[in-house]
Amino acid sequence: MRVGIIGVGCSKFGVREKTIQELAFEAVKESLDDAGITREDIDISVVGTSNTRGYELMPAVPINEYCGFAGKGPIRVEAACATGSAAFFTAYSSIVSGMADIAIAIGVEKMTEVNTPTSLAVGGRSGSYLWEFHQYGTTFPGYYAMHASAHMAKYGTTPEQLAMVAVKNHRNAAKNPKAHFPKEITLEKAVSSRYVAYPLKLFDCCPISDGAGAAILASEEKIKELGKEAIWIEGIGYSSDTANVAKRSGYTGLKATVDASKMAYKMAGIENPLKSFDVACLHDCFTIAEIMAYEDLGFCKKGEGGKFVEEGRSDFGGDIPVNTFGGLKAKGHPLGATGLAMIYEAVKQLREEAGDLQVELKNYKALTHNIGGTGHFGWVFILGV
Amino acid sequence: MFIEGRELTFKHNIPVTSVEKYWKGLEEGKIYGTTCKNCGAKFSPPQADCSVCYSSDMEWVEIGGEGEVECLTEQHSFPAGFEFLKEPYTIAVARFGDFRVIGWAREKISVGDKVVAETDKDETGVWKVYFKKA
Repeated sequence: MRVGIIGVGCSKFGVREKTIQELAFEAVKESLDDAGITREDIDISVVGTSNTRGYELMPAVPINEYCGFAGKGPIRVEAACATGSAAFFTAYSSIVSGMADIAIAIGVEKMTEVNTPTSLAVGGRSGSYLWEFHQYGTTFPGYYAMHASAHMAKYGTTPEQLAMVAVKNHRNAAKNPKAHFPKEITLEKAVSSRYVAYPLKLFDCCPISDGAGAAILASEEKIKELGKEAIWIEGIGYSSDTANVAKRSGYTGLKATVDASKMAYKMAGIENPLKSFDVACLHDCFTIAEIMAYEDLGFCKKGEGGKFVEEGRSDFGGDIPVNTFGGLKAKGHPLGATGLAMIYEAVKQLREEAGDLQVELKNYKALTHNIGGTGHFGWVFILGV
Repeated sequence: MFIEGRELTFKHNIPVTSVEKYWKGLEEGKIYGTTCKNCGAKFSPPQADCSVCYSSDMEWVEIGGEGEVECLTEQHSFPAGFEFLKEPYTIAVARFGDFRVIGWAREKISVGDKVVAETDKDETGVWKVYFKKA
């Protein structure tokens, strides 16, 4: 059975004076308007939120109530920073199972209700608490910094190449009014910023953002019945890896990305990933993450990710424009929202509704790549027209 | 406008009975992993059950000798719970034969350096592994 996306929504990302319900409502309202349906048409809702920082500990029902979906689900989903993708998959599955004709995936995160040291501690507990955070004070930037140290030592990836990811993504975010940081930065500013977790500096790191995303999915039969246009889900891949960083097989890439992409490429019949997509939304929570993703997704050989960004191959006009709306780095990374913000971007691009950020369409296919933790979860979706 | 929420503090009691030897070992300067007696799978940090063959017949193995640093970070931003640290601290993963071990570095180290591991407790009384150059 084919499943299509008929509506997408995304809130403004940033430090928002809104509750988790109100944020979700923004994205849900836009997605319903976009699909041209009402809340009564939804059969089931999936609420994705990691919500390890917010005061509303079990927010799925409050969100469902506020959006007028009481009685229709909700299923709460959590997969750290890949929560939005897990919610998207759950909504897809509810349709494929035959239980629902129209499902909504909501992804939302309130991250700014606590201070930065608390946020760092919560993120640092996302590995394996007792063996890592409890003893060593690991943090989320720290985990990616460990990967950066290995990648730089083995392949000679430079601080400037890391910064080029930030410069590119900020340049794109400058044209996206929904971005947390809609402003350009210079390479000099990025490389001279202070260390957060060596070798990663402030401008290698995504901000701490609030935000929400939503996508409405429907069966092909329902889409025909409603007479709607849809963007189709052509490939799905998922994987995961160990919680403990000491139990990984290496630190220069994420196995969860490699495995999830292979699964998605097989399902969608993709043989040459670099030549198959018009746009890709990659998980760039830290600049090293985007560089590793180029390699792990097969856009370039292992170790050549730094050169890939340096040569402009992931920029507009390059082989494959990456993170055209600003990425996690500059658009923001509200954990539960991110996967669905990627779907939003891919759908807007494939419908040629991306305005100043529109890419040229040749293949009419887009890829989204969403990682939870440091490869603790991995999701890849391939969308087509 | 904001309203301040009511305070809630979690202080968890974490059961470590099945891996007590590891925690007692740190106090004696020893670092232990476990090996599955049935299939030979090796675990560091240690675990009481084998994730590969599902046996619970495990053997404690002391990890030592010379290790090689595989990755590291120097933390400049302090998470809640680590305010007692006054200077940036280095977290590294080093490989000792079949086992990888996470620890703090006593001195400046780089990826590829050869290190030895020792144990000590921090200012909050938590025992852990420390690396120094071999």
